[in-house]
Amino acid sequence: MANNHLTSESKQLATWYFSFAAIIFGAQLLFGLVAAIQYVMPGFLFEIIDFSIARILHINSLVVWMVFAMFGSVYWLLPDETGIETVGIKIGKLLYWVFVAAIVIVVLVYLFIQVGPADETTIWFITEGREYIEAPRWADIGIVIVALGFVANLFLTGMKGKQTGIVTVLMADMIAFAGLYLAGMFFTDNITVDQYWWWWVIHLWVEATWEVFVGAIAAYGLIKMIGARRQVVEMWLWIEVAMLFGSGILGMGHHYFWIGTPEYWWEIGALFSALEPLPLVAMFIHVLYDWGKQQGEQNALGEKVSVINNKPAFTWFVLQAFGNFLGAGVWGFFHTLPQVNLYTHGTQFTSAHGHLAFFGAYATILIGMMYMAIQGTNGIKVMKHTKASIWAVSLITIGVMGMTVALTIAGYVQVLVSRAQMGATWAGYFDGQSGMWFAQAMDWRLLMGAVTFAGFLFLIKDFLSTGKDAAHQR
Amino acid sequence: MANKSVWSDNRFWQRTAAWVTGFAAVLLIWLTFDTSAQISMGTDADLKDGVTKRVPGPTVINYKITYEMSTKRGHEVPVIGEKEKFFGRDDWSEEEAAELLHLGKLGSQAKNCMDCHTLLGNGAYYAPDLTKAWLDPAWGPEGSLQAMTGKNTKEEAMAEFLQHPSQYPTHERMMPNLGITEKEAIGLVAFLKHMSSIDTNGFPRNFGKMQGAVHGK
Amino acid sequence: MVDPSILRPEIALDDFLPIFVSSALVLVFGGFYVGIYTAVKVGILQKWTMPLAYLFWVLTSYCLYVMGSLMHVGDFTAKALVVAMIGYLLLPHAVYYMQHQVHEENEHV
Repeated sequence: MANNHLTSESKQLATWYFSFAAIIFGAQLLFGLVAAIQYVMPGFLFEIIDFSIARILHINSLVVWMVFAMFGSVYWLLPDETGIETVGIKIGKLLYWVFVAAIVIVVLVYLFIQVGPADETTIWFITEGREYIEAPRWADIGIVIVALGFVANLFLTGMKGKQTGIVTVLMADMIAFAGLYLAGMFFTDNITVDQYWWWWVIHLWVEATWEVFVGAIAAYGLIKMIGARRQVVEMWLWIEVAMLFGSGILGMGHHYFWIGTPEYWWEIGALFSALEPLPLVAMFIHVLYDWGKQQGEQNALGEKVSVINNKPAFTWFVLQAFGNFLGAGVWGFFHTLPQVNLYTHGTQFTSAHGHLAFFGAYATILIGMMYMAIQGTNGIKVMKHTKASIWAVSLITIGVMGMTVALTIAGYVQVLVSRAQMGATWAGYFDGQSGMWFAQAMDWRLLMGAVTFAGFLFLIKDFLSTGKDAAHQR
Repeated sequence: MANKSVWSDNRFWQRTAAWVTGFAAVLLIWLTFDTSAQISMGTDADLKDGVTKRVPGPTVINYKITYEMSTKRGHEVPVIGEKEKFFGRDDWSEEEAAELLHLGKLGSQAKNCMDCHTLLGNGAYYAPDLTKAWLDPAWGPEGSLQAMTGKNTKEEAMAEFLQHPSQYPTHERMMPNLGITEKEAIGLVAFLKHMSSIDTNGFPRNFGKMQGAVHGK
Repeated sequence: MVDPSILRPEIALDDFLPIFVSSALVLVFGGFYVGIYTAVKVGILQKWTMPLAYLFWVLTSYCLYVMGSLMHVGDFTAKALVVAMIGYLLLPHAVYYMQHQVHEENEHV
């Protein structure tokens, strides 16, 4: 990078993390397209890259790019928050390369070896075959080491520099985030026990620690982008932590309805997952409140100037507040109660919810952080939208919403035909899949997936060019 | 800051967050102990004594399993019945059965089953749910899948299909050949039979009751 | 201990769609309620729109009622839902009060 305005090594490292995250994001979308094509044309790449392989790569790269962007976000905000350079930055850089190398090897093995014999060597070196955390055991251990190094850097920096509320929340959150991964690192013959602990990783990441993480990032973003008051933002962050962990930890019950676990999880799961949307509503309101207050004060000064100093990033942050509520909240709530979940569990409903929630809650805000990094790297005071950034945000949002609606319709067909009427048998399953509504929904899903990918191309174009755009105030 | 109310005090909310999180975590851990005891795998003795376990022991493969409505619980539950031959034997010892289940569970992970199928409803949605696959009428004596493989028993038909899936296309969407050996296939079928005996609180609902018929409209 | 109604979740085929729609609308309307409330309070929206906020609260309650009856929730759950809706009515007031309090106090230190 020619005129790099970054003086902090931590921020430098953050840009590495963001760059690799953006590449893996692209891989996620590509393999998602492969899987979407296979729903429409089952012969596509049959026995070359089967659906299972495409899907592993789709969901694993999702997790990986988000984790990379999350690490990047922390390295980006640490110098701002603590007022010092990140401690152990050299180790941080080394771990970055270790992490990247491990990911590349795992992906190549997924692609070219795919499956192994039914013994422990496969679990150790090829795949663990457990959705989302298929990474073989050696990579698990590598990931834990990298994560511990990251957490150590965060803790040492937080304790040496100024420990703000945001940093404190991140410290507590990231140690839980890293620790929980351990729950997914053992083998058992008992599939009920297997899935019980598997959810400790998946649920407690996605519906607890990651949500708190984005709460902290949103707090940082509001302070940086619209000058929200730290006192208000941090108080609100603590309330969010209480609400998110208070509902999210026991909200785990909604995964324990049907895996062989006792019936009391019905009540626990129903009660706490009904509470889970509340913090999402609260987070949405908070963004609205801060924005309204800050702009109101600005307007009172007489000049009509926007308080936002990074338009594209703020757009993605607002989209996050809304998307989290819509994807995790609305799309989660309508199939979370056990009476209904009995019929929707394991249908495309889950898939619809997954697409909108991961996008709304996480992809949006992490892309927002990438824009903040571009702003900082290029020394921009007020960053404006470009044509490409508007195309990117519009196409990606329309694409993901479109996929979600299509998958919801497909899920509805499955619930009625395969579940409520035919009781989830083999024949029932395929009757549902052959229905006209289901088939058309899958066509639309593919089309909307392509729209999302087009949006991604605009996003990359914007990432590469907007920094030098003369439209921004420097 | 003289008249700071407690509601707008950061430290108050920080403590609240810590207490709420701690309380939820402790409750989860406590529930985990209770659940772990209830979902631990049963033994051969349990099966012989008719003790109902949520997750029966591996020797459940020696018995006939059905899925019946329980009026007490208000939903279907797996019922373990009389002895039934599994690959020609109904006297698989505890060690042999455990070994088969171990092989099958490893196989289910080594072949990425969960990235097309759902197991206990979790996984991908590209292929049928396997929770009660063992009880599926399609694999039964009158089922189309058993007839297709030309085998005489459910377990042999399933094992044959697993080894040569692309020889027996059941749908435009086919299962790929995953290099499953004969031994692995037997293990996988044992794993499926065992899974069908797990008490899943009535999931899936109405399984197999309709036998392909559609009620209502 | 187990709510007996939860044991027989046999849902009529025609009821699935209204259940999905009403439960989604619970949150959408609920979001409108707190959204409009906050927007009016911070001055983004005009004062006269406040009754709309409360109208959305009524719609939220109605959708929850529809959802609960179609799912055949038991007596206990029904009572819990009523309490939840009253709590939800108060929630934005409490939240705004707190936010405002912090804001004021930090303005005048």
